[in-house]
Amino acid sequence: MSYVIETVNLSKKYPVLKGYRDIFLRPFRKKETLALHDVTIHINEGEIFGLLGPNGAGKTTLIKILCTLVLPSAGRAYVKGLNVTKDEKSIRKLIGYVISEERSFYWRLSGRQNLRFFAKLNNIPNREADRRIERLLDFLDLADDAGRMFKDYSTGMRQKLAIARGLLTDPAILFMDEPTNGLDPVSAHNLKQLVKEKLAGQEKKTVIFATHNLRDAEELCSRIAIIQSGEVRIEGTLEDIKSKFNGSKKYVMRLRSVENGVLEKINSLASVKKIIPASNGSTGPVGVEIEIGHGNGAIHMLIREIVDMGGELFSFNEIEPGLEEMFSEIVGAK
Amino acid sequence: MRPISLLLEKPVAFVWRDFIEDTSYKLSFFMQFLSIFISTAMLFFFSRLIGDAGTSYLKPYGGNYFSFVLIGIAFYSYLSVSMKSLSETIREGQMLGTLEALLVTQTEIPTIIISSSLYSFIWASFKVAVYLLLGVYVFGLNLGNANLIGAIIVLILTIISFGSLGIISASFIMVLKKGDPVNWIFSSVSGLLGGLYYPISVLPDWLQRFSYLLPVTYALEGMRLAVLKGYSVSELFPNILALTLFSIIMLPLSILVFGYAVKKAKKDGTLTQY
Repeated sequence: MSYVIETVNLSKKYPVLKGYRDIFLRPFRKKETLALHDVTIHINEGEIFGLLGPNGAGKTTLIKILCTLVLPSAGRAYVKGLNVTKDEKSIRKLIGYVISEERSFYWRLSGRQNLRFFAKLNNIPNREADRRIERLLDFLDLADDAGRMFKDYSTGMRQKLAIARGLLTDPAILFMDEPTNGLDPVSAHNLKQLVKEKLAGQEKKTVIFATHNLRDAEELCSRIAIIQSGEVRIEGTLEDIKSKFNGSKKYVMRLRSVENGVLEKINSLASVKKIIPASNGSTGPVGVEIEIGHGNGAIHMLIREIVDMGGELFSFNEIEPGLEEMFSEIVGAK
Repeated sequence: MRPISLLLEKPVAFVWRDFIEDTSYKLSFFMQFLSIFISTAMLFFFSRLIGDAGTSYLKPYGGNYFSFVLIGIAFYSYLSVSMKSLSETIREGQMLGTLEALLVTQTEIPTIIISSSLYSFIWASFKVAVYLLLGVYVFGLNLGNANLIGAIIVLILTIISFGSLGIISASFIMVLKKGDPVNWIFSSVSGLLGGLYYPISVLPDWLQRFSYLLPVTYALEGMRLAVLKGYSVSELFPNILALTLFSIIMLPLSILVFGYAVKKAKKDGTLTQY
């Protein structure tokens, strides 16, 4: 199967700037920091792929390698089958990169002048460039401010202009690095709608969406890779990740009454990983949170055992783990 | 093959960008004109102070210190731009954060760097024109003998040879970010030995030998002889030959060094860092 983006054991080490002490005492010793380690991911056409991770996880390095701005130290990376180290020129024709760095614009040019300049560098003919620019400005609600100098834009407007610039070439693959940063809730919502419904939905673009915002990833992405310390901890659809998460499920059950010693007995069952009494008391309903391992019939057996031990089941619910919870556990695991 | 108008579209876009930015700083734009006027006037009065004191040294160039130094300073702005504009473009792009956005476009790095420095050349030409106009119409500079073709040949060769040094200088900036030895050496040594403010004949013989190792010496001398004495192309041959040799050696070398620097910066991940 051919992927739009494929990385195989991709690693990146950055040299660390030496201090004067190291320069004099150990002039030939290399000092490096590992930004990516053995990253293997596959991204399909038309999907919104979330790169999720805390700051400094390696998301931007991965994007920069795929955008041909940084060379990998080891491994391979392909964009539509093109090698990032050999086919830089061809790759740049296929991609758009939404750089969320506001300093990447010319502050004393207007928004429209900035876009025209970048359109020219992307070989877009004048008339077509004007048509696209006006359409994007309208769409991003910037048309009324397009004649103002970039320096007078608010953070949100700057972010919108960065998105417009990334979309100028109508790229098949769009890299978005923290694109909702600085946007107000309405603009962020509109952007996500744009990405999901128009770019991925209608135009079948592949979007690589790097974020540390779990809600964005949960709302938008068809698949996610959680990156930490340069390594992909887990990858797949949200459902996959939930099931792979840690191989256990959480339930809340309420028991109408609990005889003395029943909770201890439940806790001693092999399938029960954790039991946290939600309320305490020898009489009346008691809530317990149970985390049990996967396994055929594990939950049925547990219920039977609880009933056999004299527990009277009042209610029983599975707790869906949220991405936030999974993220905290995965990221916090190391 | 692409029509010339399409090939020029990108350089024109860069020049237009820089013009809008430059003219948006209105007072600075005006002050630059004023600076040219003031420095020309200073040179004029300084040459009056010197009077005929240096006539024997200045004889090959017409004998007038004002003409000598004005042509030197006006022309040196080209040398300076050729040497510095490429590295300044990279440094500015790294500092401002615009370089990354440029590098991800469908424009090659050499086009970006060279086009980014075009405005500086246009501005330098404008400054030279203002220097000469002020010199001729306000301070009585005589350019009646000038050989324009010879001057243009010297100018083009100078831009190529100094541009090559500029590319090497830009390569250092690409990798080291700050502290470029090529620019430092040539700028400081050229001022001392290249004959900018005085003919190199005033230097001791042993120092003059070093002067002839520098392209700036041939560039300034060639330009002065073409503009002030009207030397023909054949009379300018020694200067043209020296600059041509320098260009032939330095241009391919500089392209090689620049390619290596870009690769190293991409490998280190520091292409856009400062």
